[in-house]
Amino acid sequence: MELFVQQLINGLTIGAFYALVALGYTMVYGVLKMINFAHGDLFMWGAYLGWVSLNFALAAFLQNSVFAIAPVVLFVLFTVGVMGVIIERVAYRPLRSAGRLAPIISALGVAFILESVARNAFGASYKVYPPQLLPAGGIGLVGDVRLNYVQIALFFASVMLMAGLYLFVQFTRVGTAMRAVSLDHDTSRLMGIDVNRIIALVFLIGPALGGIAGMMVGLYYGSFDFTLGWTFGLKAFIAAILGGIGNIPGAMIGGFVLGIVETLGAGYVSPQWKDVIAYVILIFILIVRPTGLLGERVAEKL
Amino acid sequence: MFSGKKHLTTSWQIVRMAALLAVVISLTGTAAWAAQPAGEPIKIGLQAPLTGDYAYEGKGFEQSIKLLVDQTNETGGLLGRPVELIVEDDKGDPKEASLVADRLITAGVVAVIGGYNSTATEASSEIFNEAGLLQVTPSSTATRLTTKGYERFFRTCFLDDRQALFAATFMVETLGAKKIGLVHDNSTYAKGLADWTEKYLKDLGIEPTIFVINPDDQDFTPVLTAIKGAKLDAVYFTGYHAQGGLLLKQAGDIGLQVQWLMGNASNNPELITIAGLDRAKGTIVTTEPLPGDLPYPEAQKFIEDFTAAYGSPPASVWWVMAADAYAVIRHAIETVGSTDSEALAKYLHTEFKDFPGITGPILGFDEKGDRLGTIHKAYVIDDQGNFVVYGAEKAAEPTAEKQ
Repeated sequence: MELFVQQLINGLTIGAFYALVALGYTMVYGVLKMINFAHGDLFMWGAYLGWVSLNFALAAFLQNSVFAIAPVVLFVLFTVGVMGVIIERVAYRPLRSAGRLAPIISALGVAFILESVARNAFGASYKVYPPQLLPAGGIGLVGDVRLNYVQIALFFASVMLMAGLYLFVQFTRVGTAMRAVSLDHDTSRLMGIDVNRIIALVFLIGPALGGIAGMMVGLYYGSFDFTLGWTFGLKAFIAAILGGIGNIPGAMIGGFVLGIVETLGAGYVSPQWKDVIAYVILIFILIVRPTGLLGERVAEKL
Repeated sequence: MFSGKKHLTTSWQIVRMAALLAVVISLTGTAAWAAQPAGEPIKIGLQAPLTGDYAYEGKGFEQSIKLLVDQTNETGGLLGRPVELIVEDDKGDPKEASLVADRLITAGVVAVIGGYNSTATEASSEIFNEAGLLQVTPSSTATRLTTKGYERFFRTCFLDDRQALFAATFMVETLGAKKIGLVHDNSTYAKGLADWTEKYLKDLGIEPTIFVINPDDQDFTPVLTAIKGAKLDAVYFTGYHAQGGLLLKQAGDIGLQVQWLMGNASNNPELITIAGLDRAKGTIVTTEPLPGDLPYPEAQKFIEDFTAAYGSPPASVWWVMAADAYAVIRHAIETVGSTDSEALAKYLHTEFKDFPGITGPILGFDEKGDRLGTIHKAYVIDDQGNFVVYGAEKAAEPTAEKQ
């Protein structure tokens, strides 16, 4: 029982990361009906930029302080967000009327470029976040189960980011415009919405959240390399589909479900089999609910 | 009488040297025998990577063996004849290794030391076997090299299963662990080491629990939680340092307290960088000893001589293994009184026992040509993040062959 609770905590932690990254996939799909395969690599860039700037911040002005994280978080949010906007402008917008395949190939191309540049710029070796940056210790739950302050902090940070995004999309004018664009570009334009600006905004928010997730993964798990985007990004993409792609609460639920299923599979069967277990469940869910757990009925709009 | 150096001052010798120089320039290689005043030299070949990725090791081989060959020649040679070392560069490449093998055979060597990496050794061993030559590799550890039935192939290094034998014995006898977990990442090397450790643990009456990680993962907390639940005394991770570091770090995160041991693939300071010193200290690493940690008088003398000759001590244990390869061949030729490969191989397989090697006592060779015993050591990470020898006097004793 204790072990089970501990595994659930492990699963929720990694699930929170999956969910944050899945949001980026799902938002882009919502407005463009396109899979941004470069998203995983933007997430990986978040890990690198966080690592570089954190080391710089620690060396320059804030000696080993939790407060160093705050400016670094803002820097990563902004930089990865801007990278997303630039990628959209350069690689996706010119292809927007070119059918469905061309933007996907373009996205894969961007993914490879981001990965190669990261490898060449930072080297292929593992990068390690400065240790002892986050407060050690935690609270003991039942028996031997531990809930670390770091886990609590990261979990709440990601849940708050997701909740903030959800409220933004549901209850603000810009959010309403975003939802309108996801329904129909032309009609939105007729209603006076600047579709290109909304799409650019989506490409600012999605990658920014992904970048922060990358930095959090680096901080929490300790080390990463340039392949992080591929392994993690694929999982997050699956989480987005599992929850129902195009649906923001769905991406969150998909992330948590995938994280927990994977962790329990790894803990109770074997890490070798966890992907098999996770994908069998994924396929089963998609057979029963082709649009994902909370998916919208895409067919209606086509 | 057979030593060239004693006569170097005579004018006759100088003339010979000048002539020799011309020959060397035009012919290269085989002219060196001319420097010996008398006696047909015993030629020993060295196949080593002098260029390419492993050049560092190959050059160390050459330095180590040259040192011992010079010592042999200064003390009257071998069977009253001088020893001549013929060095050929295999670049660590199997295609080059085949050419090197042909060249060494043509040069008329009686025995070969080398190569460095298993791939190059595998290519040449086939040719040396057909030519009926004795071959001793100092460093090629691939198991399959000695499974081909080559009767004249030996190695002074140990197979991966020796490390497993050491680790199993160490955990049970030195640490007194009763409940042991083994973690591997399913790579050929790590799984092999874990499988062998499991076998030797079973011989000691302990049934280990096996855990497998996926090295592509970032998150090892599920498997660590399972390890925590198993309440083990010791956990031996046989994979590489990147994952080893993450395991140590995340074990601390979930409050798993257990004695960690890691195999020689984790013998890397980066392990500590990834885990953080706090989490890494106290971790034990099983590995071949560093040359400086070899406690034997033969080793100390060799390191002194090496330092005197080249200005710095041998940097890699494989260089010392190469010296041992020469020492074994020399001892065999001396004892048998012949350079006949067949007779030498027969002697090494059957009568050769408890030779005081530089890398520690060479208990002998088994029927496949693999060295018996083990010289692996346990290092522990101290508070400063250094790898220091764990219980030196205990771990240094070669463990007797179980079987």
